[in-house]
Amino acid sequence: MLRYTLLRVLGAIPTLLLVIALAFLMVHAAPGGPFDDERALPADVAANIERAYRLDEPLPRQFARYLSGLVRGDLGPSYRYRDYTVSELIGAAFPLSLQLGAMAMALAIVVGVCAGTVAALQQGTYLDRTVMAFSMTGISIPVFVVAPVLVLFFAVKLHWLPAGWSSSAGASRMVLPVITLALPQIAYIARLTRASMIDVLGRDFIRTARAQGLGTLTVVRLHALKPAMLPVLSYMGPAIAAIVTGSVVVEEIFGIPGLGQFFIRAALNRDYTLVLGIVVFYAALIVLLNLIVDVLYGAIDPRVRYR
Amino acid sequence: MSLLKVSELSIRYNKTAVVDALSFSINRGESVGLVGESGSGKSQTALALLGLLPQQASVTGSIRFDGTELVSASEQTLDRIRARRIGIVFQDPMQALNPYLRVGRQLREILVRHKLAHGAEIDERVIEMLGRVGLSDARRQFHAYPHQLSGGMRQRVMLASALIAEPDLLIGDEPTTALDVTVQAQILELLEEVRDDTALLLITHDLGVVAGHCERMLVLEKGRLVDAGATTSLFASPGHAHTRLLLDAAPRIDRASSLSPATGASILGIEAVSVSYKAFGNEQLQAVYDVSLSLRSGETVAIVGESGSGKSSLVRAMLGLVPMRSGRAVYAGAPLEGPVEHRVKAQRRDLQLIFQDPVSALNPHMRVQSIIGESLLVHEPGLSSQARRERVAAALGQVGLGDEYLGRYPHELSGGQAQRVAIARALVLGPKILICDEAVAALDGSVREQVLALLLKAQQDTGLAIIFISHDLAVVRAISHRVVVLYMGRLVEVADNAPLFSRPRHPYTRGLIDAVPVPNPVVAPKKAPLRGEVSSLLDPPSGCVFHPRCNYATEICKSKLPAARNLRGARVACHHADEIDMSL
Amino acid sequence: MTHTRKLAAQALFVALLLVLLGGCSERSVDAGLVLQRGLPADPESLDQHKARSIQAADVLRDIGEGLVGYSPTGLLMPAAAERWEVSADGLTYTFHLREQARWSNGDKVTAGHFVFGLRRLVAPATGAFYANLLAAVVNAPEIVAGELPVDALGAEAPDDLTLVLKLARPTPYLLSLLAHPSTFPLHPASVAKFGERFARPGKLLSNGAFVLQAWVPGSLLALRRNEYYWNNAATALDGVNYHVVIQDSAELNRYRAGELHVTSTVPPDNFAGLRAQYGSELHVAPYLGLYYYGFNLLREPFKSNATLRKALSMAVDREMLAEKVLGRGEAPAYSFVPPGVDNYLPTVFSFTPLTKHERETLARRLYKEAGYGEAKPLKIELRYNTSDTNKKIAVSIQSMWRDVLGVETTLINEEFQVLLANMRDAEVTQVFRSSWIGDYNDAHTFLSTLQAGTATNMPRYASADYESLMKRAAEQVDLGRRRLYLEEAERVMLADHPVIPLYFYVSRHLVSPKVGGWGDNVLDYHYSQHLSLSATD
Repeated sequence: MLRYTLLRVLGAIPTLLLVIALAFLMVHAAPGGPFDDERALPADVAANIERAYRLDEPLPRQFARYLSGLVRGDLGPSYRYRDYTVSELIGAAFPLSLQLGAMAMALAIVVGVCAGTVAALQQGTYLDRTVMAFSMTGISIPVFVVAPVLVLFFAVKLHWLPAGWSSSAGASRMVLPVITLALPQIAYIARLTRASMIDVLGRDFIRTARAQGLGTLTVVRLHALKPAMLPVLSYMGPAIAAIVTGSVVVEEIFGIPGLGQFFIRAALNRDYTLVLGIVVFYAALIVLLNLIVDVLYGAIDPRVRYR
Repeated sequence: MSLLKVSELSIRYNKTAVVDALSFSINRGESVGLVGESGSGKSQTALALLGLLPQQASVTGSIRFDGTELVSASEQTLDRIRARRIGIVFQDPMQALNPYLRVGRQLREILVRHKLAHGAEIDERVIEMLGRVGLSDARRQFHAYPHQLSGGMRQRVMLASALIAEPDLLIGDEPTTALDVTVQAQILELLEEVRDDTALLLITHDLGVVAGHCERMLVLEKGRLVDAGATTSLFASPGHAHTRLLLDAAPRIDRASSLSPATGASILGIEAVSVSYKAFGNEQLQAVYDVSLSLRSGETVAIVGESGSGKSSLVRAMLGLVPMRSGRAVYAGAPLEGPVEHRVKAQRRDLQLIFQDPVSALNPHMRVQSIIGESLLVHEPGLSSQARRERVAAALGQVGLGDEYLGRYPHELSGGQAQRVAIARALVLGPKILICDEAVAALDGSVREQVLALLLKAQQDTGLAIIFISHDLAVVRAISHRVVVLYMGRLVEVADNAPLFSRPRHPYTRGLIDAVPVPNPVVAPKKAPLRGEVSSLLDPPSGCVFHPRCNYATEICKSKLPAARNLRGARVACHHADEIDMSL
Repeated sequence: MTHTRKLAAQALFVALLLVLLGGCSERSVDAGLVLQRGLPADPESLDQHKARSIQAADVLRDIGEGLVGYSPTGLLMPAAAERWEVSADGLTYTFHLREQARWSNGDKVTAGHFVFGLRRLVAPATGAFYANLLAAVVNAPEIVAGELPVDALGAEAPDDLTLVLKLARPTPYLLSLLAHPSTFPLHPASVAKFGERFARPGKLLSNGAFVLQAWVPGSLLALRRNEYYWNNAATALDGVNYHVVIQDSAELNRYRAGELHVTSTVPPDNFAGLRAQYGSELHVAPYLGLYYYGFNLLREPFKSNATLRKALSMAVDREMLAEKVLGRGEAPAYSFVPPGVDNYLPTVFSFTPLTKHERETLARRLYKEAGYGEAKPLKIELRYNTSDTNKKIAVSIQSMWRDVLGVETTLINEEFQVLLANMRDAEVTQVFRSSWIGDYNDAHTFLSTLQAGTATNMPRYASADYESLMKRAAEQVDLGRRRLYLEEAERVMLADHPVIPLYFYVSRHLVSPKVGGWGDNVLDYHYSQHLSLSATD
């Protein structure tokens, strides 16, 4: 198992390298640079600045220097937040995004699995159809439509929740962003759980469990839930990626100073190092989380584990 | 008052009745057998008793269990009855047990649910039950996962789960069909030991099992009860034609074969063939070890063995579907070597293969016409489509199917019809050797008889040689000229049909023969001849691989592998073959 | 075995819960009277030489102090310098610094610190954005170009309290330049000790009214009172929290919730409603900024057709733009330099007094003269960077040009950086949206942008007359004569129509009634040390 994990980690390195190279090329290919502005600089000054930030070097050299810094754990200075290194910025913003993402994921799993299970148990009834209809809308309506509607209803009309990211609101300011982020995932997970649960409930060992007089709740909880979760677990990989990318939009809409917001700002500001740093970070994060998912798979399905 | 009284029970799906006005009763402590062919409604009845039918089923009639009405009872009522009053053992324990939970965990929940024990006592009772069903080291098995247990052990666990709440009625739905025959004998014996005064409803298609273990017998045909009565009476004088049909069609281990020995020329030789596979990691799994056999034209050689015997691997190696590790196979003077893609067409044409599950062996997207015609396209491309159509029709006729089957899809065929199509596909090329890998194992009695008959006819008409792989010794006795017995990939005994079944030379062969249930209710069932199960192929026992299960094993058997030697017309691999007399 | 796994799972679960629930709020300076201000984005840096944006300058002005500063009403006044003298030829400025001036660690603020700061400003290795601010100082341009060492700079500290600046040419607006944060002093020991990272909380020394206490990027900058500031007694606030709120609607919400006392701006929609709701809390004041459309003078059809440019400029109904399309207090622009600039009266277009009808008729005539008409309409592209306001204006002008002249305008909206690149390359642009915000309170800051060879000269305007007038103005010592030259230069330039000035910016802030000392000024400088907060909640 250890060997397997190690091999997976090593195998991720070429992927990461490719991602970094592509991101580097793309961000430099975009017109403009980090120091462009309407208040254009006089030629001398501009030259000095380029030299000071080493943007006058040929691209391959810049890339090589970036990589050598990366290996040492140095993601470089930010071109836009000039007093901070990229690592510091990511370190400051990430916990917030992590909180947001983790809560959204947790909410999505809990609500999604419950909804899917209920729908599966009540297959064919109105309840089943209603749950599935809701999930369909959750998937179809984009985040940037849902978010303002939620804000309008819950914040402006009902005044139950704060409209934006205010520092005095405490935990309640997380509610709308987390819900917005979780909504499409709830929908996917509900559908996935339902299909998987229906499949599992049709299996022979469920019939055995029922024949043992265990009652529906026990049958679901003890026997059906774990295997039904396997497809959901496999989905976690893409789901995490979706939450990570979705959080970018949600943070922008709600004005949350998380990593997603920094990402957008960095791209618009042509802050090369910050963009690359966040890309690397996200890529590594997704690889790591996928690895954890694989390990969890083994925890649920003993046949995989005992290979 | 009877324990269970079923009156006019009907189970319908969309207006089609799978069980029609069924009425019977079971008294306390009684053992009743429920027999019928597939589709006769046996399993449906069992499920109905426990309220486990799917939602689409509409159930009418009455099921009174100890006074309580079960048809349209509430889930709570049924839950109180399940396991606690009526237990059930299903057919396939690998499917019936939850692969994601440890064995002990699954069992203890029953005690918890029905409030039969508390605290530490729960686990103890589970372990005790596991011991009672014959699991050695029950405490360790408590923590095992189902896939870590052998087939027999799993079924014992199932039995434990069915009996742990001490029900009044135990239902066995084909409980031994998926098991090796020697393990089946053990389980059936265990069933007798362990059920005490629990009534037994044993559902099976095997009349030998009914004869040995059921006082009374119910016969179903297409959902209707056609015959009922004491087992001995019904066997002696069956009331209904269907019962007679079943009795006649059942292959009997105690009936000698009427075949005359084959005299054709030798066409196939297999010499010292070994086949091994790469298992997880770098371990080698030895599937076949140093097996030799020969085949003549017009001869049927049966290869017999239980799971892990290597029967399928051997023929697959012969056909080039898996690589041979060592040894050689020769057909008509030319070697059979290399993967099947590289082999000469003639060889591929002359050696044909039929599998156990006919429906999945046929391409579901193709019609019968194309399925059979496909081989002609490959091997005789020069044929005009007209000629091809004629050949296909002829092949269908040979297997007893009319032209109306040409346009059908596999899912529109019954099991028997599908197997016939598979045979037609194999025979249309006029092969010299036909290999049947458990070809009739999935077929019901009468259908099986018909398929076997047409195989024999093809053999008589064309001099076809048949290699017949089977675990069913009764069928083997009926149709083979010679028998090859394999155990864990090794050759154990080769002999002609009559001598093998009257005086087997190897203890394993004797065990196999004794394990087969005899459809004769007057004779008491034999004690399970062999203990234990087939050992793991990854870690075979030293010396003679059979020694852990052998009643005659001595020190030499544990250390030295016996070589196959000739012994009065048979080949046997046993140190003590000439000392033991195992005549039947 | 199962037991340990269960334990591990539970531990993981608890850890997860802690992560999720922990860290739900931020800590900020809350002792005493703390002003909560909105900031539209993070400063790029609090190293005054690496900073560039307006919000950076705002924060820097609270943390540091230059030789001079501005009053709440926008009048220049002494700050770190008590008094100063200017030589007769206008080439030597002698500043006398306050004896009581201190850094936030108690060290005295000396003239040497100013020299150190100025030298670092022009040093090529620094890469300062405003390195050219003091181009008038002797040797400054050469040092920036790397031709001379930094100590050749015409800035000297004969003693700790005297700073002498020598200029290469008279620069009457020099004093307003010296209010710019890039000219603030630097503490050499700090820079030596911390290197490039000296501008961080806990390390950054301040000679201004406040000290940087905390900085959470993307969220908050917390300043607290600098006890060592020479004028600390006059500082009413104990602290200032700058909240970074990027979206103006979010900022408004927070103001509404009472979390902000001062906003940095106001959302553009529903201005009338806000005005009605907030009355005097809404402060709208003219601002030193211009929104204009520039012509690409390197390409046809605008390269050689001044008449066409004039026609297009005249066809725009600036009143309608300012009042109806924008409606947020902006003033229509008929000149390039905004009104309210120190010592200057902007020249306006010759057509300014005409009525709308007259102007449009004239425009049509000029359009025909330029060679276009119904049979041969002008087809041009108008580029602007993505924003709602820009779009609204572009669409209005597109319809104005179509209705009045029959011009077919294609609107192209581009991302800001893309537009900048296009403007710089001048290969695809025809008409583009641009703007300019003055760096100091003098007409020069606007007029210099259109000088030939300047990077900011987006239209690529090149007029010999304009150049000579600007040169003459630069030579003047007498403020009155200088002004005349500048005004004439503007008149000449306007007559060439290299640009279409559209409207002048206004600054908009919501200021809570609890805040005292707020003054509206054309520079939009609001030093926190002038502000106070009433204690009632």
